[in-house]
Amino acid sequence: MKPVLVLGVGSAAPSLRLSASEVGTAWGGGGGRAAVAVCDADEDTLTLAWRAAVGALGAAGVDAGAVGGLWWGTTRPPFAEGPSHAFLAAALGCGPGTEGALTSGSPHAGMEALAAAWDAVAAGHVETALVVASDAVVPGLGTAAESSTGAGAAALVLRAPADAGNGTAGAARLSGRVTRSLPVLDRYRPDAGAATEDVYDGRLFREEVYLPLLAEAAQAVAAGGPAVTAWAASDPDGRLAGALARRLGAPLASAPVQAALGDTGAASPLLGLIEALAGGDTAGANGTGARLVGAVGYGGGRASAVTVEVSRPVPGARPVADLGPGRAAGYVEVLRARGQLEPLAEPIPMGVPPGGAAFVRGNVEMLALLGARCGACGTISTPPSIHPTCTGCGGSQLEVVPLARTGRVQTFVVNQTMPPPFQAPLPLVVVDLDDGARLMVQGSPVDAAELAVGDEVALSLYRYALERGVPVYGYKALRTGRTGDAGGGRSAEEVAR
Amino acid sequence: MSWNKVAVVGAGLIKFGELFEQSYEQMAAGAFGAVLGAVDKGIDRTAIDAVIVATQRGSLWGQEGIGGNTVPTAIGLAGVPCTRVENACPSGSDAFRIGAMVVASGVHDVVLVIGVEKMRDKSTQEGLLARAAAGHPLYNRGETAPVLFAPFATRHMHEFGTTPEMLASVAVKNHHNGCLDPYAHFQNEITVEQVLSSPAVCSPLRLLDCCPQTDGAAAVVLTTAERAHEFTDKPVYVAGFGVATDHPYLHEKSTYVGLPATTLAADRAFAMAGVGAPDMDMAEVHDCFTITEILDIEDLGFVEKGKGGPASLEGETALDGRIPVNPSGGLLAKGHPIGATGIAQLTECWWQLREEAEGRQVAVRNGFALQHNVGGRGSGVSVVNILTRNP
Repeated sequence: MKPVLVLGVGSAAPSLRLSASEVGTAWGGGGGRAAVAVCDADEDTLTLAWRAAVGALGAAGVDAGAVGGLWWGTTRPPFAEGPSHAFLAAALGCGPGTEGALTSGSPHAGMEALAAAWDAVAAGHVETALVVASDAVVPGLGTAAESSTGAGAAALVLRAPADAGNGTAGAARLSGRVTRSLPVLDRYRPDAGAATEDVYDGRLFREEVYLPLLAEAAQAVAAGGPAVTAWAASDPDGRLAGALARRLGAPLASAPVQAALGDTGAASPLLGLIEALAGGDTAGANGTGARLVGAVGYGGGRASAVTVEVSRPVPGARPVADLGPGRAAGYVEVLRARGQLEPLAEPIPMGVPPGGAAFVRGNVEMLALLGARCGACGTISTPPSIHPTCTGCGGSQLEVVPLARTGRVQTFVVNQTMPPPFQAPLPLVVVDLDDGARLMVQGSPVDAAELAVGDEVALSLYRYALERGVPVYGYKALRTGRTGDAGGGRSAEEVAR
Repeated sequence: MSWNKVAVVGAGLIKFGELFEQSYEQMAAGAFGAVLGAVDKGIDRTAIDAVIVATQRGSLWGQEGIGGNTVPTAIGLAGVPCTRVENACPSGSDAFRIGAMVVASGVHDVVLVIGVEKMRDKSTQEGLLARAAAGHPLYNRGETAPVLFAPFATRHMHEFGTTPEMLASVAVKNHHNGCLDPYAHFQNEITVEQVLSSPAVCSPLRLLDCCPQTDGAAAVVLTTAERAHEFTDKPVYVAGFGVATDHPYLHEKSTYVGLPATTLAADRAFAMAGVGAPDMDMAEVHDCFTITEILDIEDLGFVEKGKGGPASLEGETALDGRIPVNPSGGLLAKGHPIGATGIAQLTECWWQLREEAEGRQVAVRNGFALQHNVGGRGSGVSVVNILTRNP
């Protein structure tokens, strides 16, 4: 196994939290204080992946244009069959020649994405790889999984070790990998099924599948080497990983992720890995040498274990607590956000069919947030496809450029009256971007009550709507602070993650 | 100018409202009957040489194939030349301008300009709100009609201290005027408190800051000044007109406290007429939302930029104010059947200049009236027409 470097990592969590007591109230029975993370109506695995990936690239100091391949693992790609990978690559600003793959089919998809990226880097096919694992599994209504199924995303930037003398050591490196598989049916979703079916028998799964398979992979990857100092592991019900760690005889580093977000599916082992990388006992403080962190991912009868040698703090590695507490949501709100509760009202079909020519012309510039800069006067007109001439001077020497992601509110409204699929209150914000361009984009309902002219905002990718069954993505301006009000709002960094 | 001078010798409309019982064609016939009846000395329908029809939407909204042939056949003028004009919210006022140019050119002597619009054959959800899914396939998602104007209210409040009460005073005045106009959709008085407690539609705009969805039709007959006295001893003349365009998207506007297309159109109309804003005895302006009227009276030069709110609150635009604005009730109370709107405004100007507006008659001192529309995506087009009773 050729090792590869981890240049930086990123993580993201969705905005809603569903407590077990909310579920208990809905269905009767138990409750408790535990909560899981849930995507709001404007979030999905693509927007989570985008946020984690933007964070990882920033932490690694790698420009999206330098990414040779994007490997994305999720059980819930926005299109079960369709342009999911191309949409994410475009939104990240990766070039049209970006290699890589979308891995799916089970929560093992995150580890499969990592393995494929690792192999491509090790083989020299790509110099820099971006690995993203994101998930937002939809559990069956009234099942035990409702109180354990969460959502989140993790991203890693990988690069081959530099030639001797080059000096780039990397903060950490992937050193070992083992996969084991077993043809068993546990959690699954049939073709065209909306909800993931729960395991048949929890005890059976624990004793005959999870513990033996994951322990075997983990012990194999660690065999013959230095002791693993901490483990991260997939944990479908919140109690399995602890038992695994006891069997392996090392601390479980991923427990806080599980406690904060629930089972994040394909993202789970990598979010756990990041939690381990962010651990306070990272070597270097006492100069005793590298730590060895292990991560084990499971899904669909397959378990993969990897080891990571950590020599110093990994850029972007933050504990899950840094992702914030989220917003407590009621059960009905969660059902609506997940699309499990829909109004009978017929949504207004979008003006242009999603496969139409206007989409072919207009999709990339919206996903990648592009403008057209005038060579004569410098004005940036947005979006480029509807501006063949400069809005400032009428010139036609235009260069397509990426737009700034931060700016200030020029003016705004809060729309309270819209047909489905739009949901009120919806701020619509005219933003003066820091590069001089101006955009009108949606805002966040969270900001509706407090938004003011002059507020600082940052742009982040969200799902605007599901229209004709198709996700439509765009940027939203999120309030980061108020002019002259140092305490107000979120930081641009908080919005970005 | 060297063109033939153009006169308005008849103007009329049908009662605006939710006219579920009338078809597009029946509304057109009603307006045609009204304008024929308004010609003092009578007019035979065969005197009409050409028809300009203004319709912004199709007769059944969504069937945009309605063309120039629909109206003449419906009103008994089959065979007469007819062209449909669509220019967003100013469609009616632009049809009037084009009709005037047709007469001025000498090609046709007697031209019927008729605006007809069916707004309520579709529900609100399917109608104006469907804008939320229009435009660039991905751009400005969630943009409904009030979104085109509410950002200006936000900014106007920020820069000039304009208040919700000032906005509300526009709606209160126009509803009052509508009570005096038998053709108005709404015939009820409202209070500032009612406006401020009406449901939020698109903050800072509330329900009573918004015009209703209204069906309606209106028509005028234009002819040359030379032939005007065949039809009436009290003709009203076209003194000037102007059209201007601006960027269509909200993020491209050069200002969020005014609509530059309005100012540009007004400058052109005033220059053509050789008059200025202080010469106007009254104005019918585009008040699709309360903020729009405040922007209009500033952009047209009736009040200083930033003073539109206080001027409205203090009654400067009331029937007995310094410059009466929207004596008909405006779009807010009379209604906004898009293709008919501008022609109905011109009908009000025609009545006011002939001093036939009864309970809502304003004082006519200089003999000039101004009519204005602004609209389209991002208020990207404006038309101003100026009428005069001075020979």
